[in-house]
Amino acid sequence: MTPAPGTADRGTVADRATNGAGRPASTLLEVRDLVVTRANRRILAVDELTIRKGETLAIVGPNGAGKSTLLLALAGLLRPDRGSMVFEGAPVVPARDLAYRRRIGLVFPAPLLLSTSVFGNVAAGLRFRGVGAAETRDRVEHWLERLAIAHLRDRPASQLSSGEAQRTSLARALVLDPHLLLLDEPFVALDGTTRAQLLDDFERLRVEAPTTLVLVTHHLHEAARLGDRLAILLEGRIRQCDVTERVMTSPVDADVAAIVQTEARVRGHIVATEDGLVVVDTGAGSGRDVEERARRLLDATRASGRAAPDDDTGAAGGA
Amino acid sequence: MIATGMDRRAPRRATMAVGTVMLAALLAACSGTAASPAPASTPAATTPAASATPAATIAASGDLILATTTSTQDSGLLDVLVPAFEQASACKVKTVAVGSGAALKLGQDGNADVLMVHSPAAEKTFMDGGYGVNRQLLMHNMFEVVGPPADPAGIKGMTSAKDAFTKIADAKSTFVSRGDGSGTEAKELAIWKAAGITPDPAWYIKSGQGMGATLQIASEKKGYTLTDNATWLASKANLDLAPMVDSGDPSLLNIYHVIQVNPDKWPKVNAACAAAFSEYVLSPAGQKVIGGYGVDKYGQQLFVPDAGKVESTLTAP
Amino acid sequence: MSSDLVEITLLSLAVSGAATLISLLIGLPIGTWLALSRFRSRHLVLSVVNTGMALPPVVAGLFIALLLWRSGILGGLGLMYTPGAMVIAEVVIAVPVVTGLTVAGLGQLDPQLHLQLQGLGASRRQTVWWLWREARLPLLAAVMAAFGSVISEVGAAMMVGGNIAHETRVLTTSIVLETGRGEFGNAIVLGLVLLALAFIINGILTWAQQRGPRR
Repeated sequence: MTPAPGTADRGTVADRATNGAGRPASTLLEVRDLVVTRANRRILAVDELTIRKGETLAIVGPNGAGKSTLLLALAGLLRPDRGSMVFEGAPVVPARDLAYRRRIGLVFPAPLLLSTSVFGNVAAGLRFRGVGAAETRDRVEHWLERLAIAHLRDRPASQLSSGEAQRTSLARALVLDPHLLLLDEPFVALDGTTRAQLLDDFERLRVEAPTTLVLVTHHLHEAARLGDRLAILLEGRIRQCDVTERVMTSPVDADVAAIVQTEARVRGHIVATEDGLVVVDTGAGSGRDVEERARRLLDATRASGRAAPDDDTGAAGGA
Repeated sequence: MIATGMDRRAPRRATMAVGTVMLAALLAACSGTAASPAPASTPAATTPAASATPAATIAASGDLILATTTSTQDSGLLDVLVPAFEQASACKVKTVAVGSGAALKLGQDGNADVLMVHSPAAEKTFMDGGYGVNRQLLMHNMFEVVGPPADPAGIKGMTSAKDAFTKIADAKSTFVSRGDGSGTEAKELAIWKAAGITPDPAWYIKSGQGMGATLQIASEKKGYTLTDNATWLASKANLDLAPMVDSGDPSLLNIYHVIQVNPDKWPKVNAACAAAFSEYVLSPAGQKVIGGYGVDKYGQQLFVPDAGKVESTLTAP
Repeated sequence: MSSDLVEITLLSLAVSGAATLISLLIGLPIGTWLALSRFRSRHLVLSVVNTGMALPPVVAGLFIALLLWRSGILGGLGLMYTPGAMVIAEVVIAVPVVTGLTVAGLGQLDPQLHLQLQGLGASRRQTVWWLWREARLPLLAAVMAAFGSVISEVGAAMMVGGNIAHETRVLTTSIVLETGRGEFGNAIVLGLVLLALAFIINGILTWAQQRGPRR
């Protein structure tokens, strides 16, 4: 499809796919030894975090884990006690780097709109960067369309519903065509229907205009749906950071397990069901003789009384 | 379209514009005053600044701070005397009417250039300290005791202030004093002292303010007070008081002097203009202004011009 | 009286207007900095500012007089008994008002708004401008409070201005003078003019404050 006006190469779909298989993709942001202390308490201690170009990294953790702190640090809005950040090969000076801040986009849980119209809000970042009126108009209108709020163009921000406001906030960040888009629980303040709708739209958008994304959330299903990689943050430390499937199926310790297994999901399709047992093909195997293997797996499961993976194919059974 | 930003800024800009205009107006006003140089002797003046004799020329210019009593202001005399002087010279007078005590203090600290006061004892101390030069007798009028028309202390028509005060004390009638270190207060305290009385706070009020305000308090509280007759004449129409003791007592003489602040002590004083002012008010022209003041408005003169006279020859009417 | 009245009114406007403007130029940046920064003695500084709001104007006048008298440190400037001295005293009175209300006004904003603006790539100047825009209501209230505190002030004006005719006589000091002379009629007229002036100025500012942000 036509790329959004004003966008540059922010990573293709292909980039994301290769990231999943572990082939080295270009590094966008590299964080080392990031420590943030507040009131004599260490609230963030990230030894190492790499964000690859074009990927979507989801950061999940309970409240108070330090997710927002980490995001603010990544946004260059926080002065950490120590740590280094290297962005596109160049070091970032935290809390002072306007050039870096102008390459990222940031969305908060609350829309935090300015008291002007929807158009004015979405155009704000462009105006900060001194983008000309004509180009601003084009880009803003494109993204108002994309987020289905074009009809609200001249509506004052104070008169928007929560869903419309958050769409505006997202448009405001996306219109900037950022190298790195940081989202702090962007859907948390929305009611169920609005959230579902926005998630759908957002997922579609991601495909259309891929950009490197860091999504902080405490809803695992959002992370699972949108994230290529998943980082689990607990008490300021990243316990595990890996391809989403691997984190969800092979948590490194009990704490991580507690987080991921509450809503454990397996991707694949169901090949057999019997007596309340379900066999799911996750597609990691060679695909040979799936039905026969499924039959054997069902028998084995019924016999042993618990779920058992098929070592050959990686198919797993579950009750 | 992109119009919203503009609209919002307009009222802000309007406010800023109004403010800038006001600032410009102020600066214009300021520069008008600042056009006259800072108080300092001008080279044009032939007056040897350190000399005690007032040989000033009218070429003196600049700001002149005149510290004087509230009675000369409240009576309205300064409203005619000062402009007359300003027309005759290039000096610009800043009148600070604070009461003799405060005026003398301003002179002592070099914060005024010339004084017009009526507190002889305090003036003597001032001169003894070397703070002033060229103290000259300027004018006089009389003090009066005024009070409520009902006259609860029964002093109307008496000719001795001292005896009147004694009767007021005996009757415990309300008496309002200036209480502000002024010449009027000094005179009043001298009368109490002569009568050997210490006024009791139960009926003795201190206003701490100028003559006009003190008269109003006396009027409101139906009390007696001592006033100079210039301020009395100028304000009596608005007051509910009547004259009680207003003739025959020499102790009620109210004598004004003009004193230049000693430039040796305070080089920053505008000695040239101070000398010019002193010379003017003592000159026939100035004395005429003083003597003529009040005749049209009140039917009698409020101040008797006394330049050149000997103080001891002044008598009560 | 009427030509004098115009002169006195214009002087009141000029002096108080200038003082308000200058106190904005000083107080707004200081208040903004205080609102947005975090440092150890912040609470102490805020307490001083808030105490400054309660400073009796006549005390400010006395302090300035002590400085500006010839016997004082700044006596050489020859500012005593000039409108300039009155402006200085009124600035001292108004700056804490502007500062304190700016801190309060900006403090009402969502603290994440500052971060959001920065996250949108706003420079420091752009951020401050937008925060001022968002706090437009309380900031204009600060302007009105500052103006109100100085146009109606008489103690400091009297002390450092001297109430000198055609020079430093403003509406408030004239009212005192006329009252002292028993000319109550004149005093009332002056009082009404003062009220009308304050009403007009505040009317304009209120219009600017209330306009637009129904959005």
